[in-house]
Amino acid sequence: MEIVVCVKPVPEAETRLRVRPDGKGLDPEGVKFVLAGYDESALEQALLLKEAVAGSRVHAIACGPAPRSEEVLRASIALGADQATWVEAAAETADDPIAVARTLAGAIRAVPHDLVLSGKQAGDHEEGLVGAALGEFLGVPDFGAVLDLRFDPGSARLRFRRATESGQELWESPLPCVVALQQAWNDPRTAKLPAILKSRKAPIARVPPIAPEGAQAVTERFELPAPRSGAKMIEFQTPEEAAQKLVRLLREEAKVFP
Amino acid sequence: MSPTVLVVGELHEGHALPSTVETIGVARTLAGTPAEVVVLLVGSHARSAAPELGNAGVSRVLVDEDARLDTAPVAAIAVVAAAAAQSLEVDLVLVGGTAFGRDLTGRLAARWNATAASGATEIQRDGSAFRVRRPVFGGRATETVRLSGPRSVVSLRPHAFQPPPASPTNPAVEPAPKVEIPAGLLAPRRTGIEPVASGLGPSLTDASIVVSGGRGLRAPENFHLVEELATALGAAVGASRAVTDAGWRPTSLQVGQTGRAVSPQLYIAVGISGAIQHLVGMVSSRVIVAINSDGSAPIFKVADYGIVGDLFQIVPALTQEVRRARGT
Repeated sequence: MEIVVCVKPVPEAETRLRVRPDGKGLDPEGVKFVLAGYDESALEQALLLKEAVAGSRVHAIACGPAPRSEEVLRASIALGADQATWVEAAAETADDPIAVARTLAGAIRAVPHDLVLSGKQAGDHEEGLVGAALGEFLGVPDFGAVLDLRFDPGSARLRFRRATESGQELWESPLPCVVALQQAWNDPRTAKLPAILKSRKAPIARVPPIAPEGAQAVTERFELPAPRSGAKMIEFQTPEEAAQKLVRLLREEAKVFP
Repeated sequence: MSPTVLVVGELHEGHALPSTVETIGVARTLAGTPAEVVVLLVGSHARSAAPELGNAGVSRVLVDEDARLDTAPVAAIAVVAAAAAQSLEVDLVLVGGTAFGRDLTGRLAARWNATAASGATEIQRDGSAFRVRRPVFGGRATETVRLSGPRSVVSLRPHAFQPPPASPTNPAVEPAPKVEIPAGLLAPRRTGIEPVASGLGPSLTDASIVVSGGRGLRAPENFHLVEELATALGAAVGASRAVTDAGWRPTSLQVGQTGRAVSPQLYIAVGISGAIQHLVGMVSSRVIVAINSDGSAPIFKVADYGIVGDLFQIVPALTQEVRRARGT
């Protein structure tokens, strides 16, 4: 099975967020970029399938700016990807999920792909649109919020679950298709030092970016919330009074009562 | 007035999801007149579900009753939605930001040559463009995205918008434009669904309300107090690390640095003192309520509303009051 995994660099989870001077994005100064958490699950899933299905190969692809995109591709190789492709794109393009999907589709069409995996969303913009748009551009079905993915060699079909608001859906699908993984239901492996060292010299194929076409989504403003000023303490004589006051505040003042 | 906004509805067991009703409300505010809002429903329940949308002020519903769509992937539904958007010549398609809605947003945008954004908490029209505000970085920041148009697809964050005021109408129900769905998109199949076990509620990271319990509950057999409050609110259940480390509840429920980061609309911390490792996982919640016997606990520094008292009395009273207020 030829497995393509789309990986994205995102700021480390502990990053202290700061706004760029122009107010239009995150200030990348001093920020460490790492493989997005859900993408890490997707890569782990790819490696598990490779181990289960003889003759499989894992190909990591990233679309984004230097040097962070190249870094997550090297990290993917260190974890076990056989091959890596980098489509260089400006950070602004990398923020437009439909443009990213169009660009990735261009690169994926040029290589063998039975299964395309990604995380369901990245921990920065959290759009969760690339997988679905990629499916459309490639002309194959896509599935979001997937967990517990298996390949049944007998029927040559994937079997998996999807986490939805109504419950867990059970699905089966032939290949090729795009699957966006919900969460780390698997326990992603960590890279071993020799593999990390080796990955530094591994070849990474570079594909020229395709020019953006059609409409664009552009971030105009990026804001951090104002710090909180401390709790409004509820005074009460009886537990019932406390409960009534809280429900009233949640309903009328905070407007979050269901 | 020609239609300007198409809402793609989502049905579960033959009824529109609350997120679909919220989405119709937003479509009405963007459209100006109700006549500009059209809703698309698909599947074998499409026609029977259409009249109930009249309560939300919808005057026109397109239905595609193809029963294959009941178990088809979102890719097949996007084919129908794109054909409807095309024939109505709308410039905006809105959907609720559920798992289905997010998937449809990306798929439809690619098919209909549109720009897209997901999980909007605000949306404004600017000519044929749209401005969308949406939380990013787990709710730690907010961005405003301009979708340049002329076609846009936007999913709305569930629970971020009020349902529209009732204005009963009797919607006209018409067949959706006929369109050929490629066989390859109908080959995958949903073979079943396991409903969310009662009491388990929505998933922690996607829930709009989270109720978490901590060490203040004293023993595992008291954790049901938290679960009952969560059930009454339709909330997900979370836990502090003290609770999961002690094995009272599985680690999958842990909120915090070493667990899940959540940013619901409402977070209720019960018997949680507020260690920094817990705070980083929930501080971006929109509204935080803390219930704790110790008024000097750090959780009150990040909370919006605080109750200092005996949680064994407060929480059951609150559960009761929530049930009463919700009429359940």
